[in-house]
Amino acid sequence: MPIENFEDFIKRVLEIVFWVLVFSPLVIFPLIFIVLPSMMGLIGIMIPGPIGVNDILAALADPLKSIPIMTEFMKTDFFKIAVFPGFTWAALIATGAILIERKLLAKMQLRVGPLYAGKFEGVLQPIADLLKLIAKEIIIPRRADKLAFWCIPFAAMAVGGALLAIVPVSKQWVVTNLDVGLVVAFAIMSFFPIIALVAGWASNSKYPFLGGLRALHQMVSYEIPLLLSALGVAVLAGSLNLVKIVETQSSIPFLLVQPLGAIVFFIALMAELERIPFDLPEAEPELVAGWMTEMSGMLFGVTQLAVYVKFYALAGLFTTLYLGGWYGPQILPPEMAEANAVIWFTVKTLAVMVLMMVPRGTMTRIRIDLMLKAGWGRLLFLAFVNIFIAIVVVQLGIVPR
Amino acid sequence: MSAGFELILALAGFAAVAALPTIIIPLIIAPKRPSPVKMAPFECGQVPAGEGRVHFMMQYYAYLLMFVVFDVIAMFLYAWGVSSIGVGMPATLIIIAFMAIMFVPMGYALHLAARRDIW
Repeated sequence: MPIENFEDFIKRVLEIVFWVLVFSPLVIFPLIFIVLPSMMGLIGIMIPGPIGVNDILAALADPLKSIPIMTEFMKTDFFKIAVFPGFTWAALIATGAILIERKLLAKMQLRVGPLYAGKFEGVLQPIADLLKLIAKEIIIPRRADKLAFWCIPFAAMAVGGALLAIVPVSKQWVVTNLDVGLVVAFAIMSFFPIIALVAGWASNSKYPFLGGLRALHQMVSYEIPLLLSALGVAVLAGSLNLVKIVETQSSIPFLLVQPLGAIVFFIALMAELERIPFDLPEAEPELVAGWMTEMSGMLFGVTQLAVYVKFYALAGLFTTLYLGGWYGPQILPPEMAEANAVIWFTVKTLAVMVLMMVPRGTMTRIRIDLMLKAGWGRLLFLAFVNIFIAIVVVQLGIVPR
Repeated sequence: MSAGFELILALAGFAAVAALPTIIIPLIIAPKRPSPVKMAPFECGQVPAGEGRVHFMMQYYAYLLMFVVFDVIAMFLYAWGVSSIGVGMPATLIIIAFMAIMFVPMGYALHLAARRDIW
């Protein structure tokens, strides 16, 4: 049945829902009677501690009994990976960031849609975007490298997700607390240009190819200032463990001790994230959408979500390194210290994200040779100066270690 | 402390798997009407001409070469930066001397990289 208009589309969706409902008992009943009992043993492994299989079966009958199971489940690694400091949380913040960014730009540039779609402040705009992307045909260019092209959204998501694992939301809520967390962050970040380059190459089209090469030049050039400006923090904290770095800032955030390093790190982060004024890899007037030009429908949507997950993770990294992570005045009752920490981290991260969004509405794009000169000739030397400042601060003993 | 690196891989894998349904749903519900024009590379409405992967001058290749050198140096500085208190002032002085030596070739490399006529 060809889809000509919106009515046909709704009919098609309802048709699929109908057939899924018709065939679902065939799947669900075997699941309940055969697979579920064997799954119970697996869940018992996943949730260590006092919770047994019988408790889970009892919770199915009585929802109140599921509360201790949930609290046990929240301590597992799986919960951390899938839900709270991990993927779902980041995807929610990324969606929120897209909405905030569109509204901010709409307010700055008087765009209509994001301001009025939906009854209240354009909240329906992300849903409209999602529906539009899902209903679009996925087009693969004729001469594209098909395997690489299909892999790019998943690779982008994987890299964004990997970055989430090391950013500590609070002392307890961190997926993995590594002794070399800062170096791991930079190691994961070095995958960004590879993905952009492969995307450009796989599309086998001129605009994505040029965009991919520009992304390579830009990210590679700004990685050195990024590394060296964060070295100041490592010298001050005497550790590469991100949790320890935050704990060193319990009395004074490193932003006040290392303002120069923070500025260099912030600018280099903007370049790594391809945000205006450093959005050369996806310059709209010149390169259409840069290395994402040939992506269509949900391939583009997933890549864009990955970009925003990355955005959140790197803003979180800035918060961790310079703004004192989860430390802040106690606004909640003392017994809710964890919630307080999470709130402060989120507020600081969102503030950093908004600060990175504002130039998109107010600044122009920088020329590529000036960008490379600024990265290598200015920021790199400022980062070295910042290291000397850090050495002096440590020798004078200003920051408690 | 256990390594914990496998959790990074787990989160990366979870993110990739979580993206899978969002790609599969459009494959089912979205219309599929391929046409030669639609499948052609996008060139702003013009008929695509020539190869997609074009040859062109890498004017800024020098910066990529510099990256290969300075990325290693930056990671080397990290090894010192973390242990700077433990190894004391002499090591810090050596590192400062090392950076001072490094600045001279770096300035020259930057000077050459900025000259676009030789690339």
